[in-house]
Amino acid sequence: MSDGKWLQIGAPIAVGIVFILVWHVLVVVNEVPPYIVPSPFLVMKTLAQDWGLLSGSLLVTLQVTGAALALAVVLGVALSILFVQSRLIEASLLPYAVILQVTPLVAIAPLIIIWVEDPRTALVICAAVASIFPVIANTTIGLRSVDTGLLDLFRMYGASRMQTLIRLRIPSAAPYFFAGLRVAAALALIGAVVAEFVAGTGGTQSGLAYQILQAGLQLNIPRLFAALILITLTGIALFLLVTALARISLRRWHESELPQER
Amino acid sequence: MTNSRPSSPRTAPVAVEVRAAEKVFANGVRALDPIDLVVREGEFATIIGPSGCGKSTLLRLIAGLTQPTGGSARLSPEAQSAGFAFVFQSPTLMPWTNVATNVRLPLDLAGIARTAAKRKVQHALELVGLQNFAHLYPRELSGGMQMRASIARALVTGTRLLLMDEPFGALDEITRNRLDRDLSELCAREKLTVLFVTHSIYEAVCLSSRVLVMSARPGRILMEVVIDEPQPRREAFRTTEKFARLSTGLSGMLATAMHGAPA
Repeated sequence: MSDGKWLQIGAPIAVGIVFILVWHVLVVVNEVPPYIVPSPFLVMKTLAQDWGLLSGSLLVTLQVTGAALALAVVLGVALSILFVQSRLIEASLLPYAVILQVTPLVAIAPLIIIWVEDPRTALVICAAVASIFPVIANTTIGLRSVDTGLLDLFRMYGASRMQTLIRLRIPSAAPYFFAGLRVAAALALIGAVVAEFVAGTGGTQSGLAYQILQAGLQLNIPRLFAALILITLTGIALFLLVTALARISLRRWHESELPQER
Repeated sequence: MTNSRPSSPRTAPVAVEVRAAEKVFANGVRALDPIDLVVREGEFATIIGPSGCGKSTLLRLIAGLTQPTGGSARLSPEAQSAGFAFVFQSPTLMPWTNVATNVRLPLDLAGIARTAAKRKVQHALELVGLQNFAHLYPRELSGGMQMRASIARALVTGTRLLLMDEPFGALDEITRNRLDRDLSELCAREKLTVLFVTHSIYEAVCLSSRVLVMSARPGRILMEVVIDEPQPRREAFRTTEKFARLSTGLSGMLATAMHGAPA
């Protein structure tokens, strides 16, 4: 491994270790009670002890986030393709996509939860609403950002609209799509958590947000921290997954994923 | 004058015919004054002129990429049915796929079967000397090799008519000379008809059987020079006194083309 790579991985890990140690020392020295701030080691212990409960909730949150992201990608890409077919369609629909984006999710989530009977479906819809905009916005720009020379070339060879879309517009849009996907993945997780806070659905079907809510009410702060850590780890995992996807798809040709020459 | 190009006498069939074509852009800019131009089969005709004189516009009119606001610019029915190819100033390759797929594009768009296409792609790559680079991506090629790939793509359909818009303008001089020489050989061997746009006097004299000098905007064809020298051009031609004389002559005409002000 190169020095640069060691730095990239080693430095954040060192900061993390220092942070945890300082946290632990401060909690112990100041005798902070665990219902205010638990020590990091107590949080780890709780995570292990409550794993049965928390892993079930983690799975629910993962499912909601994954389904929402998939829905946002499929719908978002389809809408973008529709938008670039005609300026009229874009002009007619884009403002509503913007409205959806600027209206806070917490404000519409109660409505969606009332309208949609199945709570899980309601959560998925909320999280999809939260994450669809970056997919639409980026993919639309990408589908339009086509090299004019290549567009001329396709025209000269009599390419159909479909051929131009599949062979030219969609590949050109890929880097933009992945940039949007990175934002959308984070928003889908936030959406899933926020929607569950609003919905407050309980029982065995509950996600990590509900565990945080319950732990807070019961002053079970170590469990609250444990659930929080799981959400953060989920976010990191999603980010890495999307980054890896982008790298696999673009590394042979796009500037953003090419190895840096030093 | 000896007829040094028996393959393209002045009576050869017409490939491109421009009649009083003019172009005024939507913003009112007059790009081209009415222009007449005939390119015959087997000719290597070059348009040279100051930048912004409408050379590219003229080529785009002929290619049908833009419509004339008056007159007509068209290919002969034979050239039309055999198809033409346009080579841009930049290689205009799809960065997300390899050289072979880029070269195959015109065949893919025409719905030609893969096996037949593969043979044609191989042949086109051999014509430009890229047969061993088929699997590389455009980014992995030098500028000159990217241009070669672009020319291979133009030739893959078996077309005989090339419209080339300053194809080597962005290359360094050494690469450019090399590509000029290879293009000259390729055109003579494959009996191609070429309408070439450049702003290099040197390149124009090196390659062309006929050079047309255009004026500054709005463009008009001011003069025509026949370069009576066998094709393909031998390397030594560049160092002859004739080459120097033709270059000097063209240089003077270009100065006139820029409103008499020597650049």
